[in-house]
Amino acid sequence: MVRVDEKTKEIVEEKIDEAIKEIFSSDKPWVTIVWDDPVNLMTYVTYVLMELFSFTREKAHGLMMQVHTQGKAVVSTGSREEMEHDVARLHEYGLWATLQRGDQAL
Amino acid sequence: MSAETEEQSSGFTRHGSDDYVANFSSSERQVLINLVEQIVELLGERIDNYDDDPLAAMIGITSFDSPPDDEVLMRLLPNAYAEQVDASEFRRYTESTLRARKSANAMSMRIDLKSSSDGYVEVDHDGANAWLGGMNDIRLALGVRLNVQANSHEDLEILAPDDPLRGVYAVYSWLGWLQESLIQALMDDAL
Repeated sequence: MVRVDEKTKEIVEEKIDEAIKEIFSSDKPWVTIVWDDPVNLMTYVTYVLMELFSFTREKAHGLMMQVHTQGKAVVSTGSREEMEHDVARLHEYGLWATLQRGDQAL
Repeated sequence: MSAETEEQSSGFTRHGSDDYVANFSSSERQVLINLVEQIVELLGERIDNYDDDPLAAMIGITSFDSPPDDEVLMRLLPNAYAEQVDASEFRRYTESTLRARKSANAMSMRIDLKSSSDGYVEVDHDGANAWLGGMNDIRLALGVRLNVQANSHEDLEILAPDDPLRGVYAVYSWLGWLQESLIQALMDDAL
């Protein structure tokens, strides 16, 4: 049996940790962002979020207020494909939405 | 966003469990039909030449990937990514579907209005969503013409009587009010 000294073991574990981190960071979830728009009615934004994402009225209202007061809000998180689908549905309703990697600055 | 409402006729009300009705005057009906037809025409403008690739035509992939030149179309068919390469790629695969869905909403409104001689319109839940999306597209289009990004509602309220935008703003406000009435009717059960 090969004896591995503590120092080598530590280095190997560190390398494994790094490799795992890299795999996960390259697959960070994507986010869908809704941006503020002077045309869309506040109640309309709330309704569309309830309709598309099955949010409760409270949750949809909270996100709408975040869009209204802060200019934008993350409304969904997931794979790139899922976010592209969400953005397409939001565009269908005329909301101003984009998607991006979750680790990018908003 | 705008929280604005303006009182005019009765707008949409809930009818039964999930149906919605409105009674439009003949002038309201005509204005709506005109607007809807303009949106349908606008959304249909960008015709692609599919001669080279019938398969692409069949599955809705377009050869254009640049954003529309027209400011109104750009608002109706916005970029999905801030980054241009991704935005172009996404547009190539999805823009024709988005156009078709928006046209379908407008056409659904047109059919409801055209099939009603007395201005009575009754829609189910899906029909109501088509109206909401369709009315919103018209408001987005009018909003670009009114430059609501730069002009406040206060600016637009005091347009001179001979300003051509005055009439546009009146229609824009009325549509906002009509849309609001339908949203309230739809959200009644969620209270």
